Amino acid sequence: MKRPTFTALVVVVGLLLLADLLVVNSALGEVAGVVIDAAILVAAGVALAGVGSLGARRVADLWRRRGDPVGAILVLAGMGAVLVAGLRPGSAGVADPAVQWLVVALLVPIGATLFGLLFVSTLAAARRSVASRSREGTLLVTAALVTTILLVPLSGASGSWLAAAAGWSLAVPIGAVLRGLLIGVALLTAVYAARALLGMGAADD
Amino acid sequence: MTELIVRLARIGPVILVLALAAAWQLPAVGGLRLAAPDAAEAERLTETLDALPDEPLVLVGFDADLGTYAEVRPTVRALLADLLARDARLAFVSLTPEGRALGSAELARLARNEANPTRLLDLGFAAGAEAGLVDLTRDLPLADAADGAFSRRVQEEGIAAFDVLAVVGGNDLGPRSWIEQVAPRIGEEIPIVAVTPTVLLPEVQPYVGGGGLAASLSTPRDGAAYRETVELGNLSRLLDSGDPRPFPLLIGMLVAVAALSQALGARVIGALRAARAREAG
Repeated sequence: MKRPTFTALVVVVGLLLLADLLVVNSALGEVAGVVIDAAILVAAGVALAGVGSLGARRVADLWRRRGDPVGAILVLAGMGAVLVAGLRPGSAGVADPAVQWLVVALLVPIGATLFGLLFVSTLAAARRSVASRSREGTLLVTAALVTTILLVPLSGASGSWLAAAAGWSLAVPIGAVLRGLLIGVALLTAVYAARALLGMGAADD
Repeated sequence: MTELIVRLARIGPVILVLALAAAWQLPAVGGLRLAAPDAAEAERLTETLDALPDEPLVLVGFDADLGTYAEVRPTVRALLADLLARDARLAFVSLTPEGRALGSAELARLARNEANPTRLLDLGFAAGAEAGLVDLTRDLPLADAADGAFSRRVQEEGIAAFDVLAVVGGNDLGPRSWIEQVAPRIGEEIPIVAVTPTVLLPEVQPYVGGGGLAASLSTPRDGAAYRETVELGNLSRLLDSGDPRPFPLLIGMLVAVAALSQALGARVIGALRAARAREAG
C-alpha cells in the first residue's frame, strides 16, 4: 500500500536539502539545519536501539536456552565491561584508561585477527570456486594470482618492473572497472531516489 | 597425491602461522623492499602538505576500523607525527563508535609521548552518520571545557578554519563520504587527504584519479614509501614502534600463489584429460 504522507515528506526533505546545497539563503539554511538535526537524532536513536536490540536478543537466547550460549555470554560480558568502564562514577568515558585498554589491548588485536583469518578463508573459497569449474570463478582466481605476483615486494629492477606493471593494472583495467562500478552505483542510487521521490514501488513496474 | 594435498590443506593454516612466526623473527632479508618503488602517492601527499600555510589547522576525520587498523596504523602515526613536525594543529573528530574508540586511543598515545597538548583538540564523536557529517560543515562539536587559541578559532570559524582535511578511513564513513557530503559544502579550497586500508582501494582510487582526493595512501607499500620520506627530528618518538617487515608478507604471498596455482593447475589438467578422453572416445 502506498503511503502518500511518507512520499510527500521524502519529496519535501529531498528538495529542501538540494535547494540548501545550491542556494545561499540563511532562512533556507536554518530550515535545512532542523531537518539535518532530526536526521541525526533518528540515526543516533537507531544506533542505540540496535545496541539494545542486540543485548536483548542475547539475553533472550540465554533465557530460552537457544542459539549459542557461549557466544551470548561473551557478547553480554563484552558490552557490560565497556559500559561499566565507560559509565562508572568518575570515569572519563571513552577517554578513560580502562576503556582504552579494552580497545587497544583486546578489541584491536581481536579485530585484526579476525580480519587476518580472511586470508585463509579467502584462499579456501578461491580454491573451491576453481574446483566448482565455474568459468567466472576461474577467471577471478587467475586475475587474483597475477595481481598477487605483481605485488611481491622485491627490490631492484625486477621489483620496479613488477610495481610498474601493478600500477598500470590498477590505473587502467582495474581502474576502469572500479570507475564503472561507482558510476553504476551512482546511477542506480539516482534512479532509486527518483522512484522514491515519485512514490513508485514494485507494483508500478 | 590427492591424499597428500588433503593432508596439507588440513594442516596448512598451522604451517602458515608457524612460517609467519619464524619469518617475523628472522633478520631483514636482502632483495626485498616493502616501500613502493614508484613513490608517486607518497610524493603527492608530501606536496599537498608542503603547500599548506605555516602552522596549518588540520581536521582529522578518524574513522578507522578495528579489523584493518593494524594495516594503516604505522602510516597514520607517521602522518600525525609529520603534521605535528610541520607545526600543525590537529582536531580529531569521529563519526563511528569504532573510529571514536581508536581516535581516543591515538590521542592518549600522543599525550603519553608528550606531543604538545596545545596543538591537539578532541572534537569527540559526532552522531548521525552521513547527517552528522553534513552537520560538521555547519557546526563543529566543541566541548565546553575546550579552551585556548586553537579551540577559539575553531569555534569562531567552524570547518572553514581548517587548511586540510585528513581522513583516516576503514569504516563506512571514509573518504568517499567526506568527498560526497563535505566537499560540496565547503568548496574546493580545503584539500582532502586520506589514509585507508587496501580494502577501500576500489572506492578511493577513482577519487584520487578524479581529483576529489588531493592524495591518498591506500596500500601498505604506498604507506611504507611515505614513511621513508618523512623527517621528524625528535618527534620520531611518535612513530609506530615496529615497522612491518617484507619477509613475512612475502611468505604469505608465496603461500597464496602456491595455493591458487595448484587449484588452477589442477583445473587445467582436468580439462586437458577430459578433452583427451573425448578425443579417445
